[in-house]
Amino acid sequence: MKLLAAINGAETEVNIHLETESVHAEIDSRVYDVRLQPADGNRLLLISAGQVLDCRIEGELRSGAAIEVVMGTNRYPMVITDPKRWRSASPAGAHTSGAASIVAPMPGKIVRILAQAGDQVEVGAGIVVVEAMKMQNELKSPKAGQVAAIKVEVGTTVNGGDVLAVIE
Amino acid sequence: MFRKILIANRGEIAVRIIRACRDLNISPVAVYSEPDAAALHVRMADEAFLIGPAASAESYLNIQRIIAAAKMANAEAIHPGYGFLAENAEFARAVTNAGLTFIGPSPEAMEVMGSKTNARRAAVAAGAPVVPGTNEGLKNLAEAEVLAAKFGYPVMLKAAAGGGGKGMRQVATESELRAALEAAQSEAAAAFGDSEIYLEKVVARPRHIEIQVFADQHGNCVHLGERECSIQRRHQKVIEECPSPINDADLRQRMGAAAIKIAKAVDYTGAGTVEFLFSDVTREFFFLEMNTRLQVEHPVTELVTGFDLVREQINVAAGRELSFRQADVSWNGHAIECRVYAEDPENSFFPSPGQISFLRVPTGAGIRDDGGVTQGDEVSIFYDPMISKLAAWGRTRAEAIDRLRRALDEYAVGGIKTTLPFFREIVRDEEFIAGQLDTGFIPRFYERRADRRPPSDNPAAVRQRDLAIIAAAVAYAQAQGALATNHQPPANSKWKLAGRAATLKRSATEPSEPFNG
Repeated sequence: MKLLAAINGAETEVNIHLETESVHAEIDSRVYDVRLQPADGNRLLLISAGQVLDCRIEGELRSGAAIEVVMGTNRYPMVITDPKRWRSASPAGAHTSGAASIVAPMPGKIVRILAQAGDQVEVGAGIVVVEAMKMQNELKSPKAGQVAAIKVEVGTTVNGGDVLAVIE
Repeated sequence: MFRKILIANRGEIAVRIIRACRDLNISPVAVYSEPDAAALHVRMADEAFLIGPAASAESYLNIQRIIAAAKMANAEAIHPGYGFLAENAEFARAVTNAGLTFIGPSPEAMEVMGSKTNARRAAVAAGAPVVPGTNEGLKNLAEAEVLAAKFGYPVMLKAAAGGGGKGMRQVATESELRAALEAAQSEAAAAFGDSEIYLEKVVARPRHIEIQVFADQHGNCVHLGERECSIQRRHQKVIEECPSPINDADLRQRMGAAAIKIAKAVDYTGAGTVEFLFSDVTREFFFLEMNTRLQVEHPVTELVTGFDLVREQINVAAGRELSFRQADVSWNGHAIECRVYAEDPENSFFPSPGQISFLRVPTGAGIRDDGGVTQGDEVSIFYDPMISKLAAWGRTRAEAIDRLRRALDEYAVGGIKTTLPFFREIVRDEEFIAGQLDTGFIPRFYERRADRRPPSDNPAAVRQRDLAIIAAAVAYAQAQGALATNHQPPANSKWKLAGRAATLKRSATEPSEPFNG
C-alpha cells in the first residue's frame, strides 16, 4: 500500500506491505522490517530492530486528515494521504458495466468463499471472507452480475491489493 | 467526629478530600454543576447534589445552594477545598449560621489576611519582617512617586485585594509609574471589585518560599517547614518543592517562628500558609501574604513530613487537639510537585479543553498523583484546567528528580494538550537540577531552550520520524480494513440470513462467525 505522509509540509512517500504480525516498509529507499502487535483502536505496538515503540494515533484516521502520532513522549503531527482515495472519489454505481474486481484491502488469510464461479450475485452479496488483524472482513460484490472468477481458495494467504475475485 | 462532610469543590481537590473522609470513615457528599454531573468527584462520593449551571457564580460560588445541599444531606461540616469559596468570610459565616462547621479558619482571620494591606499591618504588629513598602493603599500618583523614590526603584505595585498575579505591575523607573498605576488599578477593579493598590520594593533575585502552619482551637500552633514555589509562570506556581533546595535548618526555624507569630496574631485555626519572599542575594526574608486555606501544593509537605493535612484539618475542625506537636515534626527526604494543566505549552499555554481519550497515570516507587479526571472525561472550558498534581519523593533532591523524570515520561494523556512536555524539559534543565531557583527561572529557561533545540535531521531523528510514519500508515491500513466490515448494507432479510447460514454450514471448516446483519 502506497501512502503519502506530510510532516511540517514536507511530503514523504511510504510503501507498506502488511502481514499479520509484521510490516515491511520503504521510505525514501530506507527499508524497515517491523514487528507489529495487533492494535486495539488507535494504539499499536511496533518493535523495530529490538526498539519498542508504543504508539498512539490521535485524530480521525482518514485520507487527508490531520493526525498526531504519539510515540513515547514524542509527538509527530502529520497528514496521511491515500492516492487511491482520490481515484475512488466517485462512487461505483450498482449498474456499472464491465468487470469489477474484488481486492484484498489488507494482508490476510481467506477463511471462507461464499460464491462460486458462474453464480449470479446481487450488489452487496458476500463473495469471500478475509481474516486480518484477527478480524473477519466479508468482501462484497460491488455490482450485480455473474462471478467470472474466484482467484483464491480457503486458506490462501493474500497481500493487500491482491485480486480475489472478478464479477462481470 | 463528623459522620458526614459536604465538599464544596470539584476536581482533584474534591477527590483528595473525599479520600481523607474515607480514611476517617466519614461519608463524603459532593456538589456539582451541570457539566460535572459525571465527574470523578461525583462518582467517588456517597451522595451528590446538583447546585447549578456551568458558570461558577451560579454553582460552586452559590452559597445558598451549597448550604441547602448540606442541609438536605444532613452533613455536619463543609470543606471548601481551595479556590471558589475557600477564603470567603461571608461563606464561612453563612455555614456557621446554618449550624454547620466550616473546615477552615475563623471568618475574622480570613478578613484580616484577605486584604494584603491589613495582612501587612498584622505582620508588622507581630514583629515579622515585611518588604519595605506601604501599609496603606496609595492615595494618588504623587504619593506613589514620593514612596517609590524613598524605597528605590524597581518597585512593585500590587492590588490590596489581589491574588494570582492580577493587578500586579513591576515599575523600573519613575516615567513608567503613572501608566503602571492606572493599569494595575483598572485590572484590580475588574478582577476583585476593589482598585486599592499598594507599593513594595522589589527584592533582588527573589525566591518564593512559604511556610505551612497548623493551629488547633486549644492554643497549639506549629509549622511544617517550607515549600519552595519559585518556579512561576505569569505569577502562577507550576512546580513546588519541600524542602527548598536551600535546605537550611536555621533559616527554616526562623521563618517557621515568624509564620507562627503571624498566625497567632489573628488567632488562626486549621491549615494556613505564610508566604515569604527570600532574597538569594541578601538571604533576608520578608512576609508577603497569608493564605487562609489548604494550598494546592500541600502534597509535597505531606510527603516529606508524613502528616495528612486534610485529615488534620478535619480533626481540628471537629474540636480535637492537633495530633502532633512541633517536636514531632521532622523532614525526611525531598518532594517535588508539578501541576499538570490542560494547556498547550507550544502555544503560549493556551487552554486545551476536550475529551481525555487516553489516560495512563504513572505510579511506582516514590510517585503520588492527585488527579481529578479519568479516561473519557471532558476537560471543560468553565473551570481551572488543572487535571492533576504529580509529585515525586526521594531521599535526596536528586533522587526525587530522577523519579519525577521517569513518571513524567510514563504519564500519557490523549485527546488534549497538557503541560507534561514542558515539565519533561524542566526536569532535564541544568539550572533546575542545580536548584538555582528564583521567580525569574521560567524566562531564563526559555532563553536556554531556544539555544538547545535538537537538530531534526540526524539519522536517529529521521529513523524515529520514519517509524512514526509507519505507525500512521499501518493504523490507516487497518482502519480501511475495518471500514469494509462496517459498511455493510443494513437490515438483511431473515431469509437471506438463513440462506447464508446454510451456505456457511456447508463450507465452514472452522467454527462459523456470526455475521453483522
